[in-house]
Amino acid sequence: MNERWPTIDLDPVRRLHALAAGIRGAHVTEAHVDAPFERVWSLLGDLEGGFGQVVTDMERLRVVHRQGERVEALARSRYGMRARLRGVQRPGWCWLQSRFLLIGVAATPEGPGTRVAFTGGVRLPSRAALISLGVRREGVRSVENLTALL
Amino acid sequence: MPDERPDDQTARLVRAAQRGDTLAMAELLDLLAPYVGRVCAPIALDQGADAAQDALVAVFKSLRALKDPAALHGWVRAIAVREAVRTAHRAARTVPADLSALPARGDPQLSADISDVLDRLSPEHRAVLMLRDVEGLDERTAAALLGVRTGTVKSRLHRARDTFRKAWTS
Repeated sequence: MNERWPTIDLDPVRRLHALAAGIRGAHVTEAHVDAPFERVWSLLGDLEGGFGQVVTDMERLRVVHRQGERVEALARSRYGMRARLRGVQRPGWCWLQSRFLLIGVAATPEGPGTRVAFTGGVRLPSRAALISLGVRREGVRSVENLTALL
Repeated sequence: MPDERPDDQTARLVRAAQRGDTLAMAELLDLLAPYVGRVCAPIALDQGADAAQDALVAVFKSLRALKDPAALHGWVRAIAVREAVRTAHRAARTVPADLSALPARGDPQLSADISDVLDRLSPEHRAVLMLRDVEGLDERTAAALLGVRTGTVKSRLHRARDTFRKAWTS
């Protein structure tokens, strides 16, 4: 019977808003980009390539382990900090955390283009809270970087 | 933890999320999003996605307030129903007064086209219907969740049957 009832499959951008709501100091930067989802995610989904060009806080990111959607990567921020990021990555969704960092990226098709959303920043050690300094600026910069690369 | 029971796994995730593990929060989101979507869609209809997002925002904002992880399911359901009804009202859908009644459980009309049935009901009626037929709640529990008297829910469920059928078959 239940299969006849309407249901909603919440898209990754909406999910990112929900998750960020539980993280003190987090801000979600959302934008529409004029490129199809496949093109956008070919960049954002490439953790060792395009991802680092868009989320520029990361100078270098190297995937050291991957099992299904679960991923583990070593990162070095442009400020010299090293981080072991653990998280989940699948088409339209990337959520990575280390003790001191948090990165959330989401994308979903929107007409002929794509809606993207970014959140994250420097994390209060092991807590669901970010140091709010610069979180908005980073999000805007990520959107600008992505647009420039498309 | 391959041998872990689903309830234990959920409780573990809730506790980890409450401690600030954002990966546990993300995993919890994956578990809850389909459920919240099933609760919100029949009540908020076209605004189902907005309602589900608002409900999950409310869930994650107040997750630390949840004392008993075993109560997660009912707690999330209450939030989702509340947000869906609120969102539906905000969208100001108009509902014909003489059709603000519910078909009985197992009514063949109901299984014929649930979307058409839902379209004719108020958000509160849709909520009662969903809570009864999808969630399997009795009238008392549904009434408590919606903040209305049991008698109101019961009489609506009972009286509505003929009205609904007449409207449907006319």
